[in-house]
Amino acid sequence: MSAPHPRRAAVTGIGVVAPNGTNTEAFWKATMEGVAVLDRITRDGCEHLPLRVAGQIRDFDPPAAIEERYLVQTDRFTHFAMAAADLALDDAGLGRSDTDAAPFSVGVVTAAGSGGGEFGQRELQQLWGKGSRFVGPYQSIAWFYAASTGQISIRRGLKGPCGVVASDEAGGLDALAHAARAVRRGTDVMVAGATEAPLAPYSMVCQLGYEELSTVDEPDRAYRPFTTAACGFVPAEGGAMLVVEAEGSARERGVPVRATLAGHAATFTGASRWRESREGLAQAIRGALDEAGCAPEEIDVVFADALGVPEADRAEALAIADALGPHGTRVPVTAPKTAVGRAYGAAPVLDVATAVLAMEHGLIPPTPNVFDICHDLDLVTVRARAAEVRTALVLSRGLMGSNAALVLRRGAAGAS
Amino acid sequence: MSDRITVEELAELMKKAAGVTVAPDELQRRSDSGFDTFGLDSLGLLGIVGELENRYGTPMPPDAEKSKSPRQFLELVNSALLAGA
Amino acid sequence: MRRRVAVTGIGIVAPGGIGVPAFWDLLTSGRTATRGITFFDPSGLRSQIAAECDFDPAAHGLDAEQIARSDRYLQFALVAGAEAIQDSGLDLAAENPWRVGVSLGTAVGGTTRLEHDYVLVSHGGQRWDVDHREAGPHLHRAFSPSTLASAVAERFEARGPVQTVSTGCTSGLDAVGYAFHTIEEGRADVCITGASDSPISPITMACFDAIKATSPSNDDPAHASRPFDARRNGFVMGEGGAVLVLEELEHARARGAHVYCEIGGYATFGNAYHMTGLTGEGLEMARAIEDALGQARLDATAIDYVNAHGSGTLQNDRHETAAVKRALGAHAYETPMSSIKSMVGHSLGAIGAIEVVACALALAHQVVPPTANYETPDPECDLDYVPRVARERRLRSVLSVGSGFGGFQSAVIMNLPREKTE
Repeated sequence: MSAPHPRRAAVTGIGVVAPNGTNTEAFWKATMEGVAVLDRITRDGCEHLPLRVAGQIRDFDPPAAIEERYLVQTDRFTHFAMAAADLALDDAGLGRSDTDAAPFSVGVVTAAGSGGGEFGQRELQQLWGKGSRFVGPYQSIAWFYAASTGQISIRRGLKGPCGVVASDEAGGLDALAHAARAVRRGTDVMVAGATEAPLAPYSMVCQLGYEELSTVDEPDRAYRPFTTAACGFVPAEGGAMLVVEAEGSARERGVPVRATLAGHAATFTGASRWRESREGLAQAIRGALDEAGCAPEEIDVVFADALGVPEADRAEALAIADALGPHGTRVPVTAPKTAVGRAYGAAPVLDVATAVLAMEHGLIPPTPNVFDICHDLDLVTVRARAAEVRTALVLSRGLMGSNAALVLRRGAAGAS
Repeated sequence: MSDRITVEELAELMKKAAGVTVAPDELQRRSDSGFDTFGLDSLGLLGIVGELENRYGTPMPPDAEKSKSPRQFLELVNSALLAGA
Repeated sequence: MRRRVAVTGIGIVAPGGIGVPAFWDLLTSGRTATRGITFFDPSGLRSQIAAECDFDPAAHGLDAEQIARSDRYLQFALVAGAEAIQDSGLDLAAENPWRVGVSLGTAVGGTTRLEHDYVLVSHGGQRWDVDHREAGPHLHRAFSPSTLASAVAERFEARGPVQTVSTGCTSGLDAVGYAFHTIEEGRADVCITGASDSPISPITMACFDAIKATSPSNDDPAHASRPFDARRNGFVMGEGGAVLVLEELEHARARGAHVYCEIGGYATFGNAYHMTGLTGEGLEMARAIEDALGQARLDATAIDYVNAHGSGTLQNDRHETAAVKRALGAHAYETPMSSIKSMVGHSLGAIGAIEVVACALALAHQVVPPTANYETPDPECDLDYVPRVARERRLRSVLSVGSGFGGFQSAVIMNLPREKTE
């Protein structure tokens, strides 16, 4: 791009609703301490299914977070999204009067990998069990992938660019990159991220077709990437929303620039072709470094995709080495998602939130349940590691074949 | 089940179908106020009409979903129920 | 130097018009492809009509395995994609695959298969604790909306940025807009874009029944979709897919490609008002149009044709008329504005891309497609809606707009290539 003074996209707010914490403070504490919360699934109608372990959110009280008239017309994934957006906007110091003053300057973009499955199943049951007249008016707006973006925009009065990438896991990073580009094109603020709620009976049946899914019964053995015991991934619900803001806008408002979204690239190497993902992920890393103007040696931590499938783990370790050179085997790598599972498109957004918090605290969180690494990586295990983190690289790959990489730079706030 | 829809039943339906909480006596007192002042939108009203149609097994007049106020709505649906009875 | 973005290939599967020639023939004839639903027994539904594609995937080159693995909307995208690639003359094997992207839209994705398998695993809606043993082998592909872009990228060996876009009924316009920005910003040189949806299934028909958005004119399906007409009573469900090959202009010129038109600008805004309701003012759609004009460096008076969202619901057509008047001013009254949904129905996420293809063809043929079934003026819709008969007209720049559930308002501007350097 040829603009003489490109507008940099800063992170000024973080809102997390995750299995290990339904606010950012609780999430960071549990993540830093490496508390694994994977557990046997106890959702109504799910207990007979051969998928036994997941990351469930147990202490989220929807009516305490969201007005009832929004709750009745939305699925759980949108409940999470609205709550996370509120947390992020509060965190960024953006109240209703601030956004109302310039509604077209604030947009929303989310990634969605499964939509409102629980709501949809309920209405399908009405239709097929009772008849079409028993389908309610909210099915048309609750099940589809755009529900969260639309409801956040309406509930908070945000009229800026609205977008939805209905993508696999890597879509979470694509949504943040979409927000950064909207900022570079002139929008002051984007509320961006992803939340998922795939733990309803029919949604779980749909996921059983993924050959990468772990069906191991014991929570502490079900998701162990980069080890010889790797047996697939465990799904999760929840996610995070971030406030992505023009650096100049943050300065004017006097709020800290916590990090900048410095570079992103995405590639595609085919669904479940994990061996080929090595080349695709390496290419994405190179593209993200290039956009960020960042040398491989500058990377202080890598948040791995960590699928937990041996061939995919090997491809990722090799991709890191291919793209970062010798630095790839020295740089600390972590995968805190082994504590909570993979919340599909929301998984890398949680990693980005964690990366910003890691920069601020000078601590790299560990990879719970993972010991005895069988790849040439410096994986942070057992306990958090103190480190100065100025630049972080977040990786994600999707079950449908996408690879994405995002480079984050520490903001002025974190440097102090 | 009575053959008339009361403000109590309307209040219950507003809660169930649209997540709008309003006490029946307030609904009675403000029965000429717009549904929007209670926080009920067009989809919520459609949901209430659908629920009533399924409950009573009879179609409601097409204008019911366009009612502006509780009084107008109750008059319309009750006249339809009376005619259907 | 700004990178310019050309349309060099188009392909389409639409009701009444599979393949570009048949589609353009339908649009210019003013015939309608709406009829009583044949895919399933619609009795009990309020709206029992739709614009269905008479589509035989095997006749369009898909093999048995592709057909089994691919939900209907995927089949549309694969067939339209093959037509678009062939039309572009692009030799994908000679392209750098990392510089080829995919951006495809869908509103409801694999809903048809999700519903089909749901009926099996729930024993006809009888159980919440569904029985996974009854599920089909391809259900996970229907569950994941990214299957759309993924399947097309695999088929055409694209390795660049691959995205599925799902913003309800603006998905098609937004997917094209994202592809436009992807090339403009230098993240790819070629992007396979468009959209696909196959929503004619009981659950999708029932959910639009529940909000009375679809037309109940079951006794006269051919005349049921009546955008801008005073007697309009809702949209008619459609299905289909459209794919375009977008290419950086110099890349296209270097290989001597035929350029249909350029994408000049794209913008989208939210109305932050209501998930399904629209304001009377059309402020946000007007803003999207103005923003897209700014990107295209055009005055409002440069617009020669508006391809309307024109769904045929009472509120949409008024909203949109107000928005276009707000953005184009007095010029709106001199600009023909038509809705092809009168002929091919409203295929939710797909229609925006189908309409972009219609715009590319309008520019190529210098012909404006009509609004079929338009007979009785509505005093609140007072523009020139090109009633029933296609019209020859000098076209240089055209605008396509869309509105979607969630409050999304999008606009795309397309131009014949202008030779003056920027």
